[in-house]
Amino acid sequence: MAQKRRTSANFSSLPVILLLGLISLPLLLMYAYLFIDTVTDSQAGSLVPSQFTLRHWSFLWETKTGKPNIWRVTFNTFIFASSITAVILLVSSMAGYVLSRLNVPARGVFLAGVMVLHAFPSVTLIIAIFVVLQWIGLYNSLIGVILVKAAIDLPLGIWLMKGFYDTVPWEIEMAGLVDGASRFTVWRRLVLPQIKPAIMALGLFSFLTGWSEFILPQVLAPGAQVQVLSVYLAGLIVDDNNFDFGTFKAVGVFYVVPVLILYVFFQKHLMNIYGGGTKG
Amino acid sequence: MRILLEKFSKSFGSTKVIEDMDLDVGSGEMLALLGPSGCGKSTTLFSICGIHRPTSGRILFGNKDVTDLPSQERNVGVVFQSYALYPHMTAAENIGFPLTVRRVATAEIRKRVAEIAALVHIDNLLDRRPSQLSGGQQQRVALARALIRRPDVLLLDEPLANLDAKLRLEMRSEIRRLQKETGITAILVTHDQVEAMSMCDRIAIMKAGEIVQIATPSEMYNDPRTAFVAGFLGNPPISFLKGTAEQGEFVLGDGSIRLPLAALSGMPDGTPLMLGVRPEHFGNGGDVPVTGRISFAETQGRENLYDVMFADGSVLRSIQPVRGDLKPGDDVRWNLDSKAAFVFAEDGRRL
Amino acid sequence: MRTSRTLGLVMIAPAAIMILLFYLMPVILTGVFSMTNMSTATGISGGAFQVTQGAVNRLRTEMPEIADAISEPRFVIDEAGIAAVEAAGLASAIAAELRTEHLGEVHASRREAERMIKALKERPSTRQTKQISDFFNRSVINTRFESREALMEGLKKLGVTLTPEQQEAMARATYTGWVWTTDNFRVIGNSPDMAQVFVNTAFYVAVTLLLFNVGYALFLAVTTHYMPATTASIFRAIWLLPRITPVVIYVLMWKWLTWDSGFISMFMGQFGHPPKNYLLDSAYNAWFFVILINGFIGASMGMLVFSSAIKAIPEAQFHASEVDGASRWQQIRYIILPQLRWPILFVTCYQTLSLLASFNEILLSTRGGPGRATEVWSLAAYHTALQNYTGNLEYGLGAAMALVLVVIGVILSLIYLRVFRYDTLISKPLIED
Repeated sequence: MAQKRRTSANFSSLPVILLLGLISLPLLLMYAYLFIDTVTDSQAGSLVPSQFTLRHWSFLWETKTGKPNIWRVTFNTFIFASSITAVILLVSSMAGYVLSRLNVPARGVFLAGVMVLHAFPSVTLIIAIFVVLQWIGLYNSLIGVILVKAAIDLPLGIWLMKGFYDTVPWEIEMAGLVDGASRFTVWRRLVLPQIKPAIMALGLFSFLTGWSEFILPQVLAPGAQVQVLSVYLAGLIVDDNNFDFGTFKAVGVFYVVPVLILYVFFQKHLMNIYGGGTKG
Repeated sequence: MRILLEKFSKSFGSTKVIEDMDLDVGSGEMLALLGPSGCGKSTTLFSICGIHRPTSGRILFGNKDVTDLPSQERNVGVVFQSYALYPHMTAAENIGFPLTVRRVATAEIRKRVAEIAALVHIDNLLDRRPSQLSGGQQQRVALARALIRRPDVLLLDEPLANLDAKLRLEMRSEIRRLQKETGITAILVTHDQVEAMSMCDRIAIMKAGEIVQIATPSEMYNDPRTAFVAGFLGNPPISFLKGTAEQGEFVLGDGSIRLPLAALSGMPDGTPLMLGVRPEHFGNGGDVPVTGRISFAETQGRENLYDVMFADGSVLRSIQPVRGDLKPGDDVRWNLDSKAAFVFAEDGRRL
Repeated sequence: MRTSRTLGLVMIAPAAIMILLFYLMPVILTGVFSMTNMSTATGISGGAFQVTQGAVNRLRTEMPEIADAISEPRFVIDEAGIAAVEAAGLASAIAAELRTEHLGEVHASRREAERMIKALKERPSTRQTKQISDFFNRSVINTRFESREALMEGLKKLGVTLTPEQQEAMARATYTGWVWTTDNFRVIGNSPDMAQVFVNTAFYVAVTLLLFNVGYALFLAVTTHYMPATTASIFRAIWLLPRITPVVIYVLMWKWLTWDSGFISMFMGQFGHPPKNYLLDSAYNAWFFVILINGFIGASMGMLVFSSAIKAIPEAQFHASEVDGASRWQQIRYIILPQLRWPILFVTCYQTLSLLASFNEILLSTRGGPGRATEVWSLAAYHTALQNYTGNLEYGLGAAMALVLVVIGVILSLIYLRVFRYDTLISKPLIED
């Protein structure tokens, strides 16, 4: 059933393609100029680049006064995104399995809770979380914001994992049991390998959302030592003294390229997750 | 090893699936649990291997009470309907898995995998993954995996249901051969009477959570205890006539047909009855002539199958060697073998 | 022998703890904070008692004499002061005379105290008099007392004795920490600013949802459905880009498009329009772009959900309808849309919640401007509690505003839970060990 052509010869699809192309134009234009403007200079009032330049990229080798070093920030972002991924994968792969397969008390309540939280707008809790982190001394630390971000994405992760586990045949687990394996071994050696693609997709998704996250680090860890790329770039943009769109865009491209690469390679996986985890 | 179920009951929530079942499977015997879907045969199987816990009653392997023993400690081999092979492991790894989790030395595992693979004739497929194997080959891997731990008991859950007709025939005799060679006690769950009859020493027919009858295949065929059992065994199936007893004769519906049957002597007049006649007992050899009209004819190659309709609309089926002289609409007067016909009470009890 | 239960509890524990810490506790704390006046000024831990000028002003209406009394400097001749005089290297007779003759005196003003000092046998100079009087200055103004008892003790030393009611009023007026209050909800209920923000939010959510998250998403799903597979997947990939792109960059691109040196300005410049900031020049334009910016992101989820729902419609239905002579519009109207009822409901529920709560894009683009034209509820809460220009972050009020969203969020997600019949999603484990 893979990618069957759904169009029928009775209708021409050209008009809709043209129409949609037209609507998509602004979006494409913005992306095109995001890249073009980082390596060119244009005359004022002109959209046609007049010369090639690398000066917008100077942030890579010159640290601006008052701004943290870009590599430090990149490193922070990487640590941030990959820690979130690790936490989410570990915690939700366990919890999802329990909710899908194991007999624990209050399983239904927990599942309902996860489902509510999955829809719940967690960013409304940011004020309370801010105060909590100040109390426990994790304000302005990567660890604090990593835990918060991971926790906020956790319900979706658990929900997705539960759905993935649901597709693994029970008989595989039964076979494992009668073959003499413990429940843990069954999970670890027999079930987890079955959902490798799903783990991969969730991991990718978590990494990307971690990489892109703005408001949590902005509020909970704005300090120079722990700054991530989104906060760094937002800081550049609001700094009226160094207004230079070319540089903003260069930092933007530097920031977005890993995302686009992952997106191009793993589009199918991501489509599945962005479309829901919502097989409800 | 002998398997014993004593007063075994199983419910899910408030639904009682099985109540007070007793079952005794002798050592080295192969027993079929036969019945329509939902009759509790798989539940019984899953309880024997420990995946389900009995609500009450006991399960014994030999003299050992295993009722509260988890699956892992029961030493049973199970072949599932879908085979349940581990897709990410090769055939060899699949077969060796029960030994791997028991921490048997790698060299020993390799040796035993090779032995068992030879026994089920898949020695050349060991490096493949399940997705690269045909249905029959997967079946053999599943069998090998079930047997490698030298289980006390082999349980087969509809093992042939997913195979095509030709392979099914082959695997039937193959499984029976392995069971005989290993001398292992086996229980086969199936809804296919042919499978049960051809593979097993004894059959237990189940209906709605109860064992209706346990007997050898031929006993059961020739001496069914209820109409349900009679209807379940035999292909083409037995046909039933509804009527009443009157002066030692079976009177069909409107009274147009009266069959003198020895079995009915002494029965009070007007007792409602069911008469079961197998297709091979209606045709040329019997002793009680009946007249009817052929309503349907079907050739099966070696034999022909006829439906004969009587005046009141009831139908008897007949199977006969191929003949070309009859077609639907023809009137026939054939004999019914009264000694081979089964008489059942209205509730299906054999009289 | 319930191995799976133990294993299950162990395996679910990390998730349960994280959810408890970062969801349940914040929800409860949001409720708790909303009942306080916590702010930068009060701090988030307990406070102290300090007789600030502000506190005195507050007290003045209630008990003017006492307010005047404590706002005046007080000069108390005590051991500590005398010790300081001794240490200051002045003539020792001064300290000795103060101790023998004046110990325990309270002078209501500096003038009074200095008159006494001047009258000492040693006759200190004017400079010395001032120096000495400073050692005995025991004014409570701007002194910090760690506890209520210390405050009362300090006041008593000054000769101010208070009735219990007055003590209560004094403690309330001078307390610098946060206190319990329901004022936040009164503010939310009465302020016309809040009402405006509320209207803004309703407008923003309704329009974005209708036009983009559902409307345009449907349009995308249906049009791509009628395209060859590759073309369709290209368009879907393009329209997923806004969601994939980190929000800071995404908004940056819009800024480039709309700012006075940006694309639209340059483009309009070709027709003689002077460049201007299209994002912020008028409330109308600001809303236009805010909705566009959010809508472009929001359309992708609906697009994917609807696309897969359309894909799930058996192809035979399309063939049959074509044979029956249905036009494409009729196909959409009678075959596709009726079968998208549930997905549409689902997306509506889900996106209402996320639109209500998310303020990333507005914060980064208009910051709620021009003026407060595009300020929505969640952004206003953020501005109140976490980022504003006056510098006094009002956690209490912000939490109260967030609580409104939390309550709406809980109610909507409970409805969502009911609508989607979660009970059908949970089945009993088949393995009973």
